[in-house]
Amino acid sequence: MTATEGRSLKQFVLRTFLWLPPCFAAWYFSASPHAAVAGRLARMMVNLFTPGVVSELERSGVNLVFVTTLKVYPAPGQAALLLPEVNPLLYTYGLAMFLALMLAERAKIWKVLLGAAVLLPFQSLGIAFDVLAQVGIRLGPEVAAQAGLSGTELTVIALGYQLGILIFPTLLPIVFWAVSGRLFNEIVMNSPGRITESGP
Amino acid sequence: MLRFFIVFVVILVALFAAELTQPVQQAVVIPWTEALVHICVALITLVDANVMVFGKILQSTTNGFAISIEAGCNGIEAAIILIAAMLAYPAPWKHRAIGILAGLTAVQALNIVRVISLFYIGQWSPKAFEWAHLYVWQALIMLDVLIVWMIWIRMLPRSAAPPVSSPPPSADRGAQQAAA
Repeated sequence: MTATEGRSLKQFVLRTFLWLPPCFAAWYFSASPHAAVAGRLARMMVNLFTPGVVSELERSGVNLVFVTTLKVYPAPGQAALLLPEVNPLLYTYGLAMFLALMLAERAKIWKVLLGAAVLLPFQSLGIAFDVLAQVGIRLGPEVAAQAGLSGTELTVIALGYQLGILIFPTLLPIVFWAVSGRLFNEIVMNSPGRITESGP
Repeated sequence: MLRFFIVFVVILVALFAAELTQPVQQAVVIPWTEALVHICVALITLVDANVMVFGKILQSTTNGFAISIEAGCNGIEAAIILIAAMLAYPAPWKHRAIGILAGLTAVQALNIVRVISLFYIGQWSPKAFEWAHLYVWQALIMLDVLIVWMIWIRMLPRSAAPPVSSPPPSADRGAQQAAA
């Protein structure tokens, strides 16, 4: 690593950390409309996986409440509709990271907006898998059976939920920054041990 | 670059799925999580004796505040991402092994800082704990992974990488390579 290369990486890291606080603030203050859009997409995704299960999408503060057609029986003789609730912030905070990375390298505004738009369906996917994990796994086999979920579907839901909450929110912003950003190519792809462009 | 991303995703999903299996949980995840708690307690007791540990729970004896180290808090997912990125990048095995060992040390060291900081932030303010735990530290750990990986790539020897793709080199880059 040369001194110039080291400096450019150091400056980029420093700028990223400086941009993080305002980007977290921007993400938090835009969370409500952001969650509304992500929630609508998530509702469509859940209904693609289990047709007709979610009938309405409501809000409780910033949380998304998915009104389902599934029934639960809290006490003998009592029936209620199942309303899985999801904190969308758990799935959308990667937007702050993405903004910080893009602003740190002074990316063009259209790239920032495009990246933010591309992140949205993945955030919705995380929210959708949260709902599906509640319906298919956490609330027991009776609710899962009502939703028509079993076997392989439950395995897909378990993996999707883990990926959606642990991997997607933090990894995808970095991947999209890497794909769309100029600095990733300068720092990584032009490195001494780079992914070389000479033929085999 | 496309090949890098494909290999990265394949390794990532394979390691992640393996992490969820019972044998890996028993052999790696649970022992590491418990070891992490004990490392944190050992470090905390250097300056604060008012802490005790039950399994994966860290508790203050002063005010009863406790944190439990769960999946996503033990740094294993960050480690998996780093390992997948280093394995997917074309580099000699020796450099991969050194990078993975050094990288995992860096990631886990920061994770220890994270756990200890959360233990005290939680005693100070539940709202700040929620923010730090769910959002801020998650982002910082992943940025740490990114930085470690980029530094590792920059430190690879100039002739380390075998070729993986074949578009023609530009005149500038050809000249840079010749000068190198």
